[in-house]
Amino acid sequence: MDYTKQIQEIATRLFAEDKIDVFVGYRLTGFDDNQVPALIRESKDVPLLVFNQKSVFNLSNYLKNDHTRNKRVGLVVKGCDSRSLNLLLTESQVKREKLYVVGIACEGVVDDAGQKMQNCLECMVPAAVVYDELLGEANMERRFIINADIQDMAAKELVQRREYFEEVFENCIRCNACRHSCPLCYCAKCCIDQETATLYNGANTTSSAFHALMTWSLHLAGRCVDCRNCEKACPSHLPLHLFHKWNERVIYENFQEHLAGVHEGDRGAFYKYSMQDPDDFIM
Amino acid sequence: MARVGVFVCFCGANIADYVDVPQVVEEAKRIREVKFAIDYKYMCSDPGQQQIRDAIAQHRLTSIVVAACSPRMHEKTFRKALSDAGMNPYLLEVANIREHSSWVHQKDKKAATEKASDLVRMAVAKSIANEQLHEISVPVTKRALVIGGGIAGIQAALDIADARIPVVLVEKSPSIGGKMAQLDETFPTLDCAQCILTPKMVDVASHPYIELIPYSEVLELQGFVGNYKVKIKKKASYVNFKTCTGCGACWQKCPVKVDNEYNMGIDKRKAIYTPFPQAVPNKPVIDAEHCTMLTKGKCGICAKVCEKGSIDYQMQDEIIEREIGAVVVATGYDMWDPKPYEEYGVGRFKDIITSLEFERMVSANGPTNGLPLRPSDGKVPKNVVFIKCVGSRDEAKGISYCSKICCMYTTKHTILLHHKVHDSHAYVFYMDIRAAGKGYEEFVEKAQVDTGTTYLRGRVSKIYKKGDKLMVRGEDAQIGQVVEVEADLVVLATAVSAPKDNPDLARLLGISYDKYGYLSEAHPKLRPVETAKAGIFLAGCTQAPKDIPETVSQASACAAKVCGLFAGDTMKKDPMISTVNTEYCSGCQNCVKVCPYGAIVTDEVPFGHGSKELRTVAKINEGVCQGCGSCVAICRSTAINLAGFTDPQIINEIVSI
Repeated sequence: MDYTKQIQEIATRLFAEDKIDVFVGYRLTGFDDNQVPALIRESKDVPLLVFNQKSVFNLSNYLKNDHTRNKRVGLVVKGCDSRSLNLLLTESQVKREKLYVVGIACEGVVDDAGQKMQNCLECMVPAAVVYDELLGEANMERRFIINADIQDMAAKELVQRREYFEEVFENCIRCNACRHSCPLCYCAKCCIDQETATLYNGANTTSSAFHALMTWSLHLAGRCVDCRNCEKACPSHLPLHLFHKWNERVIYENFQEHLAGVHEGDRGAFYKYSMQDPDDFIM
Repeated sequence: MARVGVFVCFCGANIADYVDVPQVVEEAKRIREVKFAIDYKYMCSDPGQQQIRDAIAQHRLTSIVVAACSPRMHEKTFRKALSDAGMNPYLLEVANIREHSSWVHQKDKKAATEKASDLVRMAVAKSIANEQLHEISVPVTKRALVIGGGIAGIQAALDIADARIPVVLVEKSPSIGGKMAQLDETFPTLDCAQCILTPKMVDVASHPYIELIPYSEVLELQGFVGNYKVKIKKKASYVNFKTCTGCGACWQKCPVKVDNEYNMGIDKRKAIYTPFPQAVPNKPVIDAEHCTMLTKGKCGICAKVCEKGSIDYQMQDEIIEREIGAVVVATGYDMWDPKPYEEYGVGRFKDIITSLEFERMVSANGPTNGLPLRPSDGKVPKNVVFIKCVGSRDEAKGISYCSKICCMYTTKHTILLHHKVHDSHAYVFYMDIRAAGKGYEEFVEKAQVDTGTTYLRGRVSKIYKKGDKLMVRGEDAQIGQVVEVEADLVVLATAVSAPKDNPDLARLLGISYDKYGYLSEAHPKLRPVETAKAGIFLAGCTQAPKDIPETVSQASACAAKVCGLFAGDTMKKDPMISTVNTEYCSGCQNCVKVCPYGAIVTDEVPFGHGSKELRTVAKINEGVCQGCGSCVAICRSTAINLAGFTDPQIINEIVSI
């Protein structure tokens, strides 16, 4: 999977036709074969753009900063990235007419060790769902997989689960990199930063980390697209996907196989009401 | 520093039997902010309220906690007590230690007491963060919507309109009149239903304050008490009512014959029809399902014979919108289908009919000219068996409630039978005779003597055919024997059931309904015509089975409620509404989507200080907001707060236990 040439051609064309102000893609770090996001503003920088199985980051996160807000943006999205883009469009954070989306029918990306990422192995929507132009073939049949991590978690008693998480979150340093790297965390003032939110405030205790991350994961329940930007950003290497995958499974099983961001206008399972919603927990 | 007063109520024995009230007071006194705590037998009584008023002055209290019954019951009472003492009424918190503690934990007094103390502690913590709030005034649209044009809807509409309040009356069939228009005579006075109903129907049509919209249904209701907007679908009638004179040429010539619903399918009507000769409005409609012009494009006779050119096959459904302030729901009832009674041979034997079919037969304007006839051979029956409680009081096959009217109408039917067929004999199988009502018992007694009807107490177990007769086998519990009666005709007193559309209507209006589909009143004793949603009232059988006198009184009660609601030009509204902190709002518009009242719109504010760039934020219409809190729950950045239930208040509550 290498679309470097095609993406460079598209970017050059968009700049030549004056359709965009900035192109958001990937470039090499400069010291290894890993990649970082690139904001290209002139056609002379287009040759910096690359795209291959090392293009791991979800670039829809770069639509909310000052360099792209209210500008005409060209953007590269894989399947998962396009789903979060879809949610940003639905939640009125981005205007579609200001975007030129280059969709990728993704074959999966790899981690530092060259192994295919776990989320790519479980991916249900590999090809972009929103695009102006699609690169690659979108023909992959997928089925919902409950991975070993989640199976282990399900096997644990509630108390054990809590103990496990308390142990894990001892390493959290409350840097909020997870939040900043998440394309769907765009709130003007996050609820965990507010003065009244005493549960999350104060010293960096395991309890405050636990509550903050729990709240965060619930705010992403039914919206998280499993791009794992948060895990890539976490300096403490916390297994943040456990929350999200757990929620994803519960929602998939209970809300008519709902997957976040696949359909335009779909705000997520917890933001709509249907007669088929489970209600057996109500007396 | 907050100074909280705590007032714990015994509620007679309701709370005191299961909660140690003095103990709750002692616990409350230990809370730092509580400067005064006391118990009393009935806090809601005048001496109880006086204690609150006195304590506010004596102890310079800044907020009040009343631990008593549900705030739905007496929050208003206690708020008024605060107002009377010169305190802002919204500084009150009610801890519900009755429904939430004593009633549900009757077996464990210790635990109930602990829970009551916790509830008080939470209320105290919340009340510390209470703020002074002030009532909001909203304008009122003085127009009422009445759904259903049976006797309930007619009476409600007339009473409201007589108070010079405009009424929109929506009826789903082509004519108003409802079930009462199908009745022959009415118990207990045997006056003719048509004679007492049709003048009222005419009054509705000619009343300057009533807008009658027949052949239509309610599609959508938005807004809130005093300011509803309703969308009504006017079904295509294919007849221009403005030019139609109701001459009848069209239905006389129409070649299509359809079962006549008004006569319970005993005879036929045409595809273009008025339901019955006394219909209001007396204009025909075309039954689009059966008209061959509309289904196959062939015929067109009615258009040819209509001198006024009133037939319009191209007519479409029309959506009408009206602004209204209150709604009276009077959708009536359905007759229960006796199909589950297979042992009676329902559906197999032609000579088993339902009571409404019998009613149509004996009716002067009925399909048989007022004579009961056997459907199988058209002969006049001599022996008629009436079976009561078919569907009613039968959990196994039907419904567990008593339909209330069957005892009386069956008695009426025995009289009508006796009047029409002098040498007939009636048998009535009954469980009980329930004749509670003015003149009802006397009516039953007299009927039994005058008609010589044989009353058999017991249920029928089987009906089978013997020649052209029906053999009705049942038990006579009074002699303890199985009896068999040879019958020419069997009449089933089928149960009253809720209209099958009621659940859909309830969802559309945002009101609740019970397991049978009847719409629920706000309080079974003290608020029988109100619903839990302000400005929506219930009249007639849509709430529960009832007879005509009761229905009419309930309809008039609804009218009184509507008139009371519209007495002033503005309406006071609770200040418990949402506000948006635009600084925190990210404009995702989830709140707009979840608001059931359409109270949230979007607004644009500068991106930052002095910025020309604009961003979208949510904005609450405070007249429309009902304070349900859905937006608060959905808002991820907690940009929305609900007055009276702010985050500090809720967090105080959580932290206190």
